[in-house]
Amino acid sequence: MSDLLLEPLRLPYMQRAMAEVLLLGVLTGVVGVFVVLRRLAFMTDALTHTVFPGVVIAHLAGWSLAAGALAFGVLTAVLLTILAANRRVASDAAIAIVLTALFSVGVLLVSRQRSYTSDLTLFLFGRILTVDRADLLTTLALTGVVLTALAVIGKELLLRSFDPEGATAMGYPGVALDLALNLLIALVVVAAVKAVGTVLVVAMLIVPAASARLLAGRVAGMTVLACLFGVLAGWGGLLISYHLSVSGGVRLAAGATIVVVLVAGFLAILAATAVRRWRSQPPRLGGSGGAKFAPSVDQAGAGFAPSVDQAS
Amino acid sequence: MNWLADTFADGFARRALVEAVLAGGFCGLVGVYVLLRRLPFLTVALAHATFPGAVLAELLGLNLLVGAGLFGVVVAFAVVGLGARERVEETSAVGVVLAGAFALGVLLLSVQPGFSRDVSAFLVGSILTVQQGDLVATAVTGLLVLGVLAALHKELVLGAFDRNGLAALGYQVAVLDLALVLCIQLTLVTALPAVGAMLAVALVVAPAATARLWTDRLGQAMVLAPALGIASAVVGLTISQHVRVAAGASIVLVAAGLFGGSLLLAPLLRRWAQRPPVAARSRPSGGGTVTDGGPATESGAAAAAR
Repeated sequence: MSDLLLEPLRLPYMQRAMAEVLLLGVLTGVVGVFVVLRRLAFMTDALTHTVFPGVVIAHLAGWSLAAGALAFGVLTAVLLTILAANRRVASDAAIAIVLTALFSVGVLLVSRQRSYTSDLTLFLFGRILTVDRADLLTTLALTGVVLTALAVIGKELLLRSFDPEGATAMGYPGVALDLALNLLIALVVVAAVKAVGTVLVVAMLIVPAASARLLAGRVAGMTVLACLFGVLAGWGGLLISYHLSVSGGVRLAAGATIVVVLVAGFLAILAATAVRRWRSQPPRLGGSGGAKFAPSVDQAGAGFAPSVDQAS
Repeated sequence: MNWLADTFADGFARRALVEAVLAGGFCGLVGVYVLLRRLPFLTVALAHATFPGAVLAELLGLNLLVGAGLFGVVVAFAVVGLGARERVEETSAVGVVLAGAFALGVLLLSVQPGFSRDVSAFLVGSILTVQQGDLVATAVTGLLVLGVLAALHKELVLGAFDRNGLAALGYQVAVLDLALVLCIQLTLVTALPAVGAMLAVALVVAPAATARLWTDRLGQAMVLAPALGIASAVVGLTISQHVRVAAGASIVLVAAGLFGGSLLLAPLLRRWAQRPPVAARSRPSGGGTVTDGGPATESGAAAAAR
C-alpha cells in the first residue's frame, strides 16, 4: 500500500509535480473560499479565460508568463469596471462578452502559429509533469505573495463578503477591495497555468471551497477543509493518473484527473449531507419548488456565523 | 462583390456560410431570453458541458452533435437539480458543473492517442469541416427550439419579470425553467461546429446585449439580435478566410466588436435624437405583451431581482 503511494515519488519529475500540486492545493483552497463566499465563480471563470491571451503574448514575445497574465488580469478588471457603469449592460452579460472576446484574441494569436493545437492544449490544460525547478519557485513565490496579501486584507474582504454596505459605511474602499481580490485570483491563475492550465484552475478554485462550504459553518473551518480537499485531490489525482498510465495502460491527463477527483468528492459530500439531513428530519411534502433560476436572492454567507471577527 | 463570391465558391466554404447563418440566427434569438433571465453564466456552463459529450461521441464513432446534445441534456438536468439544493449556492453549483464537465472531456480525450490533434475543433470550432448532415441537424434542432420558444414566449417573458406572478397563475415554474434550459442547450449544440464549446456563449450573449443597447423593446430586440448574430458569423467567417486565422475566434471578435462599437455609438445617437423615442415612453398597461410597457427589458428584470 505504501509502495503504491510512495513509489512514484522516487522519480524526480513526480516529486516536482507533487510539490507543485500540494502548493496549488493550499493556494487555491484559501483563495477559493473568498471566491465562493463572494459568489465570484463567473468572474473567476472569466479571469481564467482572459489571462489566456496574456500568457500567449508573453510566450510568443519571450517575456515572463506571469507578467503577461497579470497585465491581462488588470485589463479585465478595468474593462468590467467600465462596463458595470453602463445601465443597459447587465454585469453577467459584460463578463460573458469580455471573457469570450479576450479568449478569442488568444486563440487568434495561437492559430497563427505552426504548433497551433499543441500550444493551445498546453495553455489550456497545462503539463504538470514538465514542471521544473524554476516553475516551482515561481509558484512558491506567488503563494507567498497571495497569502501575505490575504493576511493583510483578508478581514476586510470577508467583511465585504458578508456586509458590503457596512464595509462601505465604515470607510473601506469597495472598488479597491474588489480589484485587489480579482488581482489575487489572477495571480493564482498565473501560478497554476503551467501545471493545470487556465481552464482547469477554475475547478481548483471553486470545487474544494464549495465542498468545504457543505460541511463547515465557519470561515476558518471552511478554509482548512478547502485546503485539505485541494491537497488530497491533487495528491490522489496525480497518483491515479500515474498508476493508470504506467501500469494500467490507460493514458489519463493528470490535471483533468485531479479535477474529476475533486468533483467526485464534492458529489460524495453532497450525497452524504443530503442523506444525513433526510435522516434527521421527516421528508417534506412538495419539495423545494424546483429550479431556482430566479434572479438570485442575496444570501451570501447564509448559514455562517453572522459576526466576522469569529472567523479571523 | 466578386471577391465575396470567390470566398464562398468552394463547397466547404458554402457549407460553412450556411452554418454561420443558421448558428448566428438561432443563437442571437435565444440570447434575448438568456439576457432576460440573466443566465449568461449558466450558458457558459452548458456550453462547456457539451464538450465531454462531443468527445464521447468521437470515441464511440457517433455523430458529434448528437453526442454533445444528449450529454448536454443530462447536464442541464444536473444543473437544475443541483441549483435546487439549499446549501449549494447557485453560482458555485454552476461553477462545479462547468469545471467537472470540462475536466471529464479532457480526461476522455487524453485516453485516446493523438490528444492534442482534435481538441481545438471541439473547443473553438471547425466551421470549414461542417458536413451536410451537420447542417440538417442544425436546421432541424434550431426550428424545434424556435417552435418551443414561440409556444412558450408569453410565459417565459412573464417568468423573467415576475416569477411569483407566474407561479400564482398556476404555471409549473420548474417545468418552464427546464424547457428554457433545454432550449439554450440545444441552441448551443447548433453553434458547436461554428465556434466550439469555449466560444459558443459569445454568439448567444453578444448579439443580444448589442441589440439591448439599441432598443428598449423586446420585439425589436428579437429581430435585431438574430440579425446581428448572422452578421457577426458571416463577417467573421469572411475575415478568417482572407486573413487565415481561426474562424471561431474571428466570429467572436466581430460580435464583440459590434458590441463595443454600439456601446460607444448608441448613447451618442440617442442624444442626437434629442427626445426619447416613442417606444421608450410608457404605454397604458393591459394591451399587447407584458413587456410593452416595461421601462427596459433588462433593467426591468434586474429591478425585479432587487
